[in-house]
Amino acid sequence: MSEHHKETFLTKYIFSLDHKMIAKQFLITGMFMGVVGMLMSILFRLQLSNPGESFAVLEFFLGEKWAPGGVLDPNIYLALVTMHGTILIFWVLTAGLTGTFANFLIPLQIGARDMASAFMNMLSYWFFFAATIVLLCSLFVESGPAAAGWTIYPPLSALPQAIPGSGLGQDLWLIAITLFVVSSLLGGLNYIVTILNMRTKGMTMSRLPLTIWALLIVAILGVLSFPVLLSCALLLIFDRSFGTSFYLSDIIINGEALHNTGGSPILFEHLFWFLGHPEVYIILLPALGIVSEVISVNSRKPIFGYKAMVGALILIAFLSFVVWGHHMFITGMDPFLGSVFTFTTLLIAIPSAVKVFNYLATLWRANIRFTPAMLFAIGFVSTFITGGLTGIILGDSALDINVHDTYFVVGHFHIVMGLSAIYGMLAGVYHWFPKMYGRMMNKKLGYFHFWVTFISAYGVFFPMHFLGLAGLPRRYYTNSAFPMFDGLSDINEIITFFAIVGGLVQLLFIFNFFYSIFKGTKATENPWGSNTLEWTTPVERIHGNWPGEIPTVERWAYDYSKPGAEEDFVPQNVPLKEGETEH
Amino acid sequence: MQLNLKKNKASKQLLWIGIVSIVMFFGGLTSAYIVRKAEGGWLEFEMPVWFTISTIAIIVSSALLLFAAQNVKSGKSATTLLLGTLFLGILFSYSQIQGWGDLVAQGVYLTGEGSNASGSFIYAITLMHLLHLIGGLVALLITTVKSKQGNYSKDNYLGIQLASIYWHFLGILWLYLFLFFNYS
Amino acid sequence: MMSILVGLIILLSVIVLVQILRVNELVSEVKDQDPNEITDKDNNIQGILTFSIFGVLFLGFVIWQFKYWGVHILPPASSLHGATIDTLMNFTLGVILFVFFLTQPILAWFSLKYRGRKNAVAYYYPHNNKLEIIWTVVPTLVLTPLIIYGLNVWNDITSADTSNSKVIELYAKQFNWTARYAGDDNTLGKANYKLVEGLNVLGVDMEDDTAQDDIVTREVHLVVDKPVLLKMRSQDVIHSAFLPHFRVQMNCVPGMTTQFGFTPTQTTAEMKEQEGEDFDFVLLCNKICGAAHYNMKMKFIVETQEEYDAWIASQETLKNSLTLN
Ligand code: HEM
Ligand SMILES: [Cu+2]
Ligand SMILES: [Cu+2]
Repeated sequence: MSEHHKETFLTKYIFSLDHKMIAKQFLITGMFMGVVGMLMSILFRLQLSNPGESFAVLEFFLGEKWAPGGVLDPNIYLALVTMHGTILIFWVLTAGLTGTFANFLIPLQIGARDMASAFMNMLSYWFFFAATIVLLCSLFVESGPAAAGWTIYPPLSALPQAIPGSGLGQDLWLIAITLFVVSSLLGGLNYIVTILNMRTKGMTMSRLPLTIWALLIVAILGVLSFPVLLSCALLLIFDRSFGTSFYLSDIIINGEALHNTGGSPILFEHLFWFLGHPEVYIILLPALGIVSEVISVNSRKPIFGYKAMVGALILIAFLSFVVWGHHMFITGMDPFLGSVFTFTTLLIAIPSAVKVFNYLATLWRANIRFTPAMLFAIGFVSTFITGGLTGIILGDSALDINVHDTYFVVGHFHIVMGLSAIYGMLAGVYHWFPKMYGRMMNKKLGYFHFWVTFISAYGVFFPMHFLGLAGLPRRYYTNSAFPMFDGLSDINEIITFFAIVGGLVQLLFIFNFFYSIFKGTKATENPWGSNTLEWTTPVERIHGNWPGEIPTVERWAYDYSKPGAEEDFVPQNVPLKEGETEH
Repeated sequence: MQLNLKKNKASKQLLWIGIVSIVMFFGGLTSAYIVRKAEGGWLEFEMPVWFTISTIAIIVSSALLLFAAQNVKSGKSATTLLLGTLFLGILFSYSQIQGWGDLVAQGVYLTGEGSNASGSFIYAITLMHLLHLIGGLVALLITTVKSKQGNYSKDNYLGIQLASIYWHFLGILWLYLFLFFNYS
Repeated sequence: MMSILVGLIILLSVIVLVQILRVNELVSEVKDQDPNEITDKDNNIQGILTFSIFGVLFLGFVIWQFKYWGVHILPPASSLHGATIDTLMNFTLGVILFVFFLTQPILAWFSLKYRGRKNAVAYYYPHNNKLEIIWTVVPTLVLTPLIIYGLNVWNDITSADTSNSKVIELYAKQFNWTARYAGDDNTLGKANYKLVEGLNVLGVDMEDDTAQDDIVTREVHLVVDKPVLLKMRSQDVIHSAFLPHFRVQMNCVPGMTTQFGFTPTQTTAEMKEQEGEDFDFVLLCNKICGAAHYNMKMKFIVETQEEYDAWIASQETLKNSLTLN
């Protein structure tokens, strides 16, 4: 490959066109936002477990105005919850997860020199970066950042009189999300086209690693659903800034009757959740892909039921477009529609169950090598089971009546989407770190990080189900206003304790990450004995990926422990032997 | 050459998938329109004549663009036809703005006391279409300049192809919106 | 001062960590090992840890929570339809817990059993169509009754006959609730947000005949075993009327009216006996609505017909409260 430009610091690290560098930019921005979002959750957890008590940290981070005397202000509580949700969902687990691994893995695993359009790829990162800056700026505006929840339901999000965060803070939020959507679309277009067009010789669709399948489907989901979020946000912007009445009707706020009539907040909810539900799969599917890969490599076994795994991914993605109404069972929607959405929602349990059983079957009679990545992958299977099962309760319209918007929901979605996706992301970082930086991450710190994370994460989110079953609504500044919740304070204290421990140990991970970039032990070309193509590239990581010809693909990615092979793995570029059949 | 073909195919696919996402965007807006309309309290009004003029302008512009592409493929210059397309595109934008003027004159407002969602939707959706169309105008401008400079030839006309796909799409999108406003 | 101290401590711990890692790596180097290679010993330790933490500690924690925190779960429903929801919930929970306690131990057990050894070889087993069909069909078979049962309960709740129910309006605004009884004619008078003014907090149209006997109250009294139909409106943003003890929840959306019908089956007095003197039925707001969202409440009292009659007779109708003073 003769694609050699002169590289300066600026073109190498900042305005890089190399997909591997762009991936790292996404990863590090995502990690930074992850720390910000996590810190927010710890701040508001303090208020939840010790309502009204004074904490020096609160005053330190939020200042005298937002935490007078070290006690969190209720409006700022809601602002923190909103920003926490927004940051983790969009910045960490959409951009940070997909942006990192799609950029890094797609060209490497399909055998391409780079993305179809490296320029669009760079643009995608810089839109994301701009979105990040705008969002961070909103943390410093006088009236506080957006505070209407990450779902920004109007009229609350439309009227600054209703909550201070709906002033400038909400404007910045909307601008940030618009930039974010543009970034995701640029990225998504590129991923799809790259996967469809740039595969190396022999890389048929049926030989694609599951990571690539997952990323392809995620990109398709994004291209179909993000524009709808944009149209939803656009109408909200019109309502906020130009006084139209798409979502507003018959409102008196602060004693003043608004002129708006005829608008419908429910319309917003439909448009929002048409994105919002696929969005949770946009978060989850890359993790499913990564985990499939990590489990197979470290079990030294082929992933069980490759075709079923792909089929399940496609089915889940398809169903995710027809279930959005399960967020709206109690908005007074037509009960018949409610039944339809219950039906479609519970159907998702079937492909999900297939995935779980296939993972278990992969582990059966394996030769498991417990890398930190593998532990996170096994942790993923555990949280995916736990969270998936509680979803059966929430998807059932009759049961949702009494748990909707309670802490039961908070427990459910953190486990199935938050934890699972974070585990997938961490598994991916541990697994591909040697390819990203040419060095190994420290194993012992990795083990410690996993176990403390695993224990404290369940310690935070499992007890939340009990809060929810006790009837405690989410987005409550404190539960002390109702005597019926008085007994819950011990649960709340335990949750906060684990939240702090779990948060601190992530700092250890970040330490390990940066330490290993500079001081980690040198990695070899293929430290895990993997079959996929990225491990045939040199440790030095060059522009264009392969120094010589791009390897041709001769087999699927999962020939681990194949009888008759000399080693317990056969890379994808090794030709089939005489008489050998493909799985 | 082989690589070039691959690149051409990829660029076209990029554009097509981009178009799919624009379709989803307008799909979101128009389905919001339908849902909102079904809820009642909907103001009915006449579509301005200027929108019909827009429609004619954009159809003719697409036709000119087709001929332009033909010309390039057979090795002739397309500059004049491209200029014509560009002119009609600007005429389209102009008549959109005139159309809004007509709406205001009819008492259909975007916002404020007495405004109705039906009017607001028209403004919002046509404005969004116009924004996408301005992107198309920029693309046409670039191809026109390049064509004038003689950058296109019988076997190198990807730029014109891409601009054409997008421009025809915008035309079809407008046709859809126009029929949608009139008959839904 | 404080921040400098904290900064110093952080810096120190980073330095200490770096040193520990360096020493660790040096030791391995001396022993000619790769410090980050996964050894059989690692596999043993991690396999055993996975089993004990995934399989024993976590599952034990779940059981422990049910045992000690189960008491916090809401008492059995105090409404007719609520009882059917409870039964459905118990059934669903049973199925879920069964699957949970089946799959999690398998995961933990496989992790221990099949932990790696240097010379062991895994079993090459890429797929088995029969097995895959089984675990597609079995979840489908389990889900089918769950779906059918759930939809039945939902249909019964949403299509309940409310023609004989007493009509009560719940009106939400930042940050409190107001109730309006439909009065003797059981018909709520028309209302319009433009009419909200002074004492007429609900914007009731006093020209409307059916509005005259409406009664506005700050708490809700219900007659045990008599059906009611709650109609919700909101003045400003979305709220949600949540009555956890009755298994009732419905959003209150500005610009539209929503409703939920139910029949209370236990009086407040009975519940106090069962749950303690502090007990009260209560209405919460369950949709984020602003700073005091957490503090939007109204008391619900379920009582006998006689008690109710006495209470309602002591309330003023709108005709009296709005037009006479
Ligand atoms: C350190 C770990 C975390 C802790 C302690 C934590 C805690 C919480 C709590 C207690 C709430 C509910 C607050 C309320 O409703 O009043 C919440 C909301 C939320 N969290 Fe987390 N969380 C953590 C990590 C995550 C992760 C990994 C995600 C990624 C999906 C996430 C996404 C969200 C979302 C979307 C909300 C809802 C925000 C809203 O209501 O608008 N969180 N978090
Ligand atoms: Cu959903
Ligand atoms: Cu409220």
